Amino acid sequence: MGVAKLKKAELYYHKSVHEEIAAALQDSGVCQIINAQEAEGGTRPSDIEARLAESEERLADVRYLMRALTPHFNDPVPSLDRMLGEKPVMSMSELSQLAHDTDLSGAAQKVRGLEHELGEVRLELSQARANQALLANYSFFPYELAVITEGTRVLAGAAGVVKSEQLEAFKNALNNFAKDTEVFFSNVSAKTPEVYVVVLYSRDKASQVLDACVKNGMSMAEVPAEFKGSLGEEKAKNAELINKLEAKDAELVNNMKKLADEYMPNVQKLSDYWTSLVSRWQALSESGETESVLYTKFWLPAKETERVRGKIEAISPNVALSFADPEDGEEPPTMLTNGNLVRPFNILTELYSPPKYKGIDPTPLLAPFFFVFFGMCLGDAGYAIVMGAAIYWLFKKYKRIPLGIKDFVTLFAFSAVSTFIYGIISGSFFGNFIDAFLPFLIPVKNAFMLVDPMTNPMQVLGISLLLGVVHLMFGLLISAYEKLKENNYFDAIGADISWFLLIVGLCLFGTGAGGMLPAAFGFIGKWMAIIGAVIIFVYSAWTKEGNIFSKIISGFLALYGSTSYLGDILSYSRLLALGFGSAVIGMIINLLGGMAANIPYVGWLIGIVVVAGGHLFSVLINLLGAFVHPLRLQYVEFFGKFYTGGGEPFTPLKNSEEFVSVKA
Amino acid sequence: MEYLGLSLALFGAACASALAGIGSAIGIGIAGESAAGVMTEDPNKFGSCLILQALPGTQGIYGLLITFFVLNQLNMLGGGAPAMPTWNQGLQIFAACLPIAIVGFISAIYQGKTSAASIQMISKKPEAMGKAIILPAMVETYAVLALLTSILMLMGVQVA
Repeated sequence: MGVAKLKKAELYYHKSVHEEIAAALQDSGVCQIINAQEAEGGTRPSDIEARLAESEERLADVRYLMRALTPHFNDPVPSLDRMLGEKPVMSMSELSQLAHDTDLSGAAQKVRGLEHELGEVRLELSQARANQALLANYSFFPYELAVITEGTRVLAGAAGVVKSEQLEAFKNALNNFAKDTEVFFSNVSAKTPEVYVVVLYSRDKASQVLDACVKNGMSMAEVPAEFKGSLGEEKAKNAELINKLEAKDAELVNNMKKLADEYMPNVQKLSDYWTSLVSRWQALSESGETESVLYTKFWLPAKETERVRGKIEAISPNVALSFADPEDGEEPPTMLTNGNLVRPFNILTELYSPPKYKGIDPTPLLAPFFFVFFGMCLGDAGYAIVMGAAIYWLFKKYKRIPLGIKDFVTLFAFSAVSTFIYGIISGSFFGNFIDAFLPFLIPVKNAFMLVDPMTNPMQVLGISLLLGVVHLMFGLLISAYEKLKENNYFDAIGADISWFLLIVGLCLFGTGAGGMLPAAFGFIGKWMAIIGAVIIFVYSAWTKEGNIFSKIISGFLALYGSTSYLGDILSYSRLLALGFGSAVIGMIINLLGGMAANIPYVGWLIGIVVVAGGHLFSVLINLLGAFVHPLRLQYVEFFGKFYTGGGEPFTPLKNSEEFVSVKA
Repeated sequence: MEYLGLSLALFGAACASALAGIGSAIGIGIAGESAAGVMTEDPNKFGSCLILQALPGTQGIYGLLITFFVLNQLNMLGGGAPAMPTWNQGLQIFAACLPIAIVGFISAIYQGKTSAASIQMISKKPEAMGKAIILPAMVETYAVLALLTSILMLMGVQVA
C-alpha cells in the first residue's frame, strides 16, 4: 500500500544482443529507462541511432497513411469498442512479421500519387465551376466570346463589373465615346448591387476608353482565353467538362476508399508497432556505450526485479544486471500501489499530482471520504441502480477492458454503492418516485429513513458540516504525523495540533453551550480552544523575525487565519445542496410526468417518456456534479492541509496498444 | 391588491430561473466557443471538452430548482387553487429568490470563462484534466452557497 519501492537497475550487455534486450525491457512493461550517459548531451550509441532513424521513417509513413486514408475509411470497429479493449490480439513477433511483409513506403507512394491526382482534379474542377459562374453572369452578351478574348483587327473588348450606384456616371463617361464603343449591360433592377458590363471599342481609342471605364468604377474581369465561341456553346462545353471532372473525382475518391480498405487494417496495427519501436529506441538512446558493450539504467518496482532478471538472463549469458536502492539525493518516480479496494481511487490522486517518492500516498486516506461525499451528493437509490446496471452491462459486454479504464469504471461502481446507501437512508428513489407513483411502498421507504433533507435540511446541513470538520481535522493530524516522523515537534504542535485543538475545542464548546452535548464537553472544549489559540499566537510570534510589535501583530494575524477554516468548513454545505438538488430535480421530473399522464388517451405514454428521459438526464448532470464537488473537497480543503504532491509519475517503457493488444 | 403577494412571489421565482438560466447560457456559450476552437485541431478531445463546457450549466438548474420550490410552496403544481400569500410573504419569497438569481447569473459567466481557459489548458496538456475540472468548480462554490441560502430562506417563509 502506498508508494511502491523502486530499484535502480544497471544493465551491461554485449552489442550483439542489444535488440533482444531492448525488446525484453519493453515487453516487461515495468522499466522506466533513465539517462546512463555520464556527460550531459552525450551522443547516442550508433547502433541505436540507426534503429531509431529507421523506425522514425516508418512511423512517418504510417502517420501519413493514417492521415490521408482515415477520412476515406469506414472503420469496422467503433472507437468506443476499441477503447474498451475490443482489438485484435497479436504478439510483437507477429507484428514484426507483418511489418516485414508490408511495403509501407510503397503504399505511401501510391496514396501520395492518388492524393496528388485528386488535388489536381479538384483544382481544375473549382476552376471550371468558377468559369461556369462567370459565363452565367455574362449571358446577356450576344456575340462570340472571341471578340473579348482575342478581338478583331479593329475591335477589342473588355468584360467587367460596375457597382449600381456608379452606373450612371459610367454610362455618361462612355457616351463621350459613343461612336467608338458599344456597351452591353446585364439586367438592372433595384436589388442588384452590381451590374455586369461588356465594352467593345475600336482599337485606336483603346487606352482612352479603358481609362474612362476604370476611372468610372469598372473593375475588369478576366475571361479565360480558351473561350471563343458563343456563350451558349461555351457554357455547354464547360458544363460537360464539369461533368467529366466530377466523374473523375468520384472515381478517384472511390480508388482512395479501396486503398483505405486495403491498407488501413494493417496500417493501424503497424502504427502500434512502429510507435512502440520509436519509443523503445528513443528510451534506449540514453544508454551509454563502450567499444562492444552497451549499458542501460532504469527504474523498476522492487517486486519485479526477479522476473526482469529471468527474462534478460534467458537471452544471453553475457549480461551483467545489478539492482540498487535509490540513493539519498535521487528522486525516483512515483508508482502508486494499493489493494483492489483502494486502487480505483489512485486516479483521483494522479489527477492532482502523485506524491514524491518518499512522501505519503494520500489515496487510502481520501478514499473513504470520497466514497461518502459522492454518495451524499448524488444520494438517490434509483440513480444508483441505473449506474450499477450500466456498469454491469459494460463489464458483461467487454471482457478485455484495459486496466486504467477498468479502475475508473470501478470507482463509479463503488460510488454507486454509497449513492444507494445514502438514497435509502434519505428516502430518495428516483426523487420522490415512491410518494408520487407507488404510495403503497411509502411505509417500506420510511422504515429505512434516517435523515430527511426535504423536510429537515438543517439536520443534513449539520451532518455535512460535521463531516467537514472531521475531514479537515483528519488532514491536520496527517500533517502533524508527517512532521512528527521527522522529529519536527515544534512545527507539528505549532502549525497543526494547535489548530486541531482550537477548531475541535470550538465545536465542543459550541455544541456544549447549545445543549446538544453535556456541559462538561463545553468546558473541555473551551479550554482546548484557549490552549490552541495561545499556541497559535505564540508559535506565529516566535517564528516571525523582527521586533516585538511585528511579532505581536503576526500572532494576531495568525489567529485571524481561523476565518479560512470557517470558509473551509462551510464549503462542505455543498454536500447538502447537491444532494438536495438531485432530489428536487427528481421530484420535478416525477411531477411533470404525473402532469403529462393526465393527458387523455396518450398521457401514460408521454408520462413514461418524460419520467424515463428526465431521470436519465438527471443522472448524467448530477453525476458530473457529484464527481466534481467531492473531488474539490479533497483537493482544496483536504489536500490543502497536508499534501502538495509534486512527484514524477512512473512511466515505464511499454508497447503501444491503441489498435492491437499485444500479448506477451 | 389581494394578488400582490402572489405576484411578488412569482416574480421572484421567474427571476431565479431566468437570471441563473441566462448566466448559464452565456457561460456555456463562452466555453463552447473555446471548445470548438480546440476541437478543430483535435476532434478526439470532444469528451473532455464537453465535460468542461457543461460545468457552467449547473446554475441554470439551481435556478430552476428554486423556481419549482416556490411554485410548490404556492401550491401551483398539483392543480387546485394557488396559495394566497400576503404581500409581506410575497416580498419575503422574492427576497429569498435573489441569491440564486444574482449569484447564479454572474458566477455562471465567470465559470464559463474559467472553463474556456481550462479547455485551452487541456488542448496543450491533456493529462491536466483533473486540475482543469477543479478550476471552474472553484467558481461554482458560490453558486452552491447561494442556492443553499435561497433554500434555507424559502424554508423559513410561512405561507398561509
